Amino acid sequence: MIRIKPKTALIATFAVAVLFLPEIALATGADTGGVLEGAPQPTRADYPQIGGISARTLAWGLAQMHLFLAAFVLAVPLFSIATEFMGVVSRDDRYDNMAREFMKITMAAYSLTALVGGGLALALFLFYPHLMGYMMKVFRGQTLIYAALFGLESITLYVYFYSWDALRHGNRKWVHMSIGLLLNTVGLSLMFIANAWTSFMMSPAGVDAAGAITGSVWEATRNPLWNPLNLHRFLANIAYGGAIVGGYSAYMFLAEKKAETKAHYDWMGYTSNFIAILGFLPLPFAGYWLMAEIYSYSQQMGITAMGGILAWLFIIQAVLIGTIMLAANYYLWSGLMRTDRGAQYTKYVKYIAFVIVCGFLVWVTPHSLILSAQELQVLGGTHHRLLGPLGIMPAKNTAVNLMLVFTFLSFQMFYRSSRVPTVSWARAGNTVIIALYIVGCMNIVGAGIYGYITPTVYKVGASVPQVVSTLMIILGSVLIDSFMLRGAKSEKIHWGRMHERSQYALFVLPVAFTWLMGLMGYIRSSLRTHWHIYTIMKDNSPEAYIPTIGQAGNTITAVTLAFMAVMVFVFWLSRLGATKQAAPAGQE
Amino acid sequence: MVFIVALAVWAAAFYVMDRYIMSAQGLPVGADMMPL
Repeated sequence: MIRIKPKTALIATFAVAVLFLPEIALATGADTGGVLEGAPQPTRADYPQIGGISARTLAWGLAQMHLFLAAFVLAVPLFSIATEFMGVVSRDDRYDNMAREFMKITMAAYSLTALVGGGLALALFLFYPHLMGYMMKVFRGQTLIYAALFGLESITLYVYFYSWDALRHGNRKWVHMSIGLLLNTVGLSLMFIANAWTSFMMSPAGVDAAGAITGSVWEATRNPLWNPLNLHRFLANIAYGGAIVGGYSAYMFLAEKKAETKAHYDWMGYTSNFIAILGFLPLPFAGYWLMAEIYSYSQQMGITAMGGILAWLFIIQAVLIGTIMLAANYYLWSGLMRTDRGAQYTKYVKYIAFVIVCGFLVWVTPHSLILSAQELQVLGGTHHRLLGPLGIMPAKNTAVNLMLVFTFLSFQMFYRSSRVPTVSWARAGNTVIIALYIVGCMNIVGAGIYGYITPTVYKVGASVPQVVSTLMIILGSVLIDSFMLRGAKSEKIHWGRMHERSQYALFVLPVAFTWLMGLMGYIRSSLRTHWHIYTIMKDNSPEAYIPTIGQAGNTITAVTLAFMAVMVFVFWLSRLGATKQAAPAGQE
Repeated sequence: MVFIVALAVWAAAFYVMDRYIMSAQGLPVGADMMPL
């Protein structure tokens, strides 16, 4: 009898899986039996009704909650491994400890993610059996790959976290980071697959006009909106994950009493805020690309988003993003008190605040106003003579780019406050950076004005130089600073020397991000209007209409509150895990 | 003096960048004053 060692069996299974999984995942249309069958067209009677349960609200709530949790648990390992790597490079154990603490929060949320995901799958199969049956046919073996990857994600996540101390030094550290890399690869693959299903419902591919499967799973996966959605969600997840661990740091900062522990959580909060801003800076541009691709795929869909009732939600979006910007900047300005030289920069804060508030006001200005008949008569139309022009994209793009540039300036002031350049050309270097800011901002404003005097195609095209100008200012400043601050005299950063109200800015970020994600998810999903799968499979259920803004607002707010309750529970759980009961007297 | 030179160099750099990006999108500057 042949005996196979468990390790050999494991390697053999893995090899077989690697060999055959891509074949299953990207199966061609041939395995449908060669019969071209269109998408099912269920009638109203085909949708199960269970009591008075609103199927859509239930699926919506579960999907949104799953997305919040999944975004968080997928993002944290991404920057956890980056922080761990920084710990190896800088040989500073603080980074390693912080990376481990990031993961500790994720662990508490992971099982909840799976639980809600399972609930969502059950709700969808129960209330939308025809849709789910069709989706299974289109994506065939890929659904099994998803399940397998989910298993692998669980294994790598647990191994990555629990082996932290066992694989902490020397070559073993690299083994540990390799496990982290595998975890992130699997996590991102899961997200890309789920994005393929979502984007297929918006821009179906690999099927004909009746929904008959004509192409491979890969064709259905690589539908027109897949990659824009992938990029947008990838960046948003990083910003979101950073914002949530920032909230955790603030919670711990406020809860802890010891100065040393407070200093640790202050540093963690600063790093988390940095991660959130880093993910957030390119996000508007990824969103712009996604919307441009939506327009490119279907003008009707684009107009539904930006030209109809949903357009008003982009004003709420602007309010929320403005809130995020102001909170993140306020936190950075508060951070100037951590250094002794920080005070000399505070005089610039009011100018930065002015630009950010003005940008915020431009962004929230609608093109046409909702008015009563009386107001309409006084104004002579829905379009305000002076403010109306601020409602179109050149003004919005100019505002958002300037807000991003000045947010970076807030960050630059902080890192400059702890370093005194010693190079002989420091004064000239500063002058070159100031000139870069001036010319770059003028270019952003100029390209915005250019958009007003040229046709639409140029107006849209001019937004690209605006983005590149923002990036040039940021990258140019970082590059010059990196040379100028070589051998700079370091000033002590007094971590923990922060007033408590600054921590509430770190609470604002995850709340605003969560609400924003819920809001934008509602818009993205509503673009399909009365279609399950756009133009291919009609939604004939009793709830086949775009929910009113009020109803959407209530649902999003309820899910946001529920998620925040879960997060507070997760934070409390993490703190509980680190709490040790003192031994009773006499047992020490 | 450094400030003036830096302003001029950055202005030139941004101008070249603007023109290049617009041309790369098939939108050459100069042909942009079509009737609205």
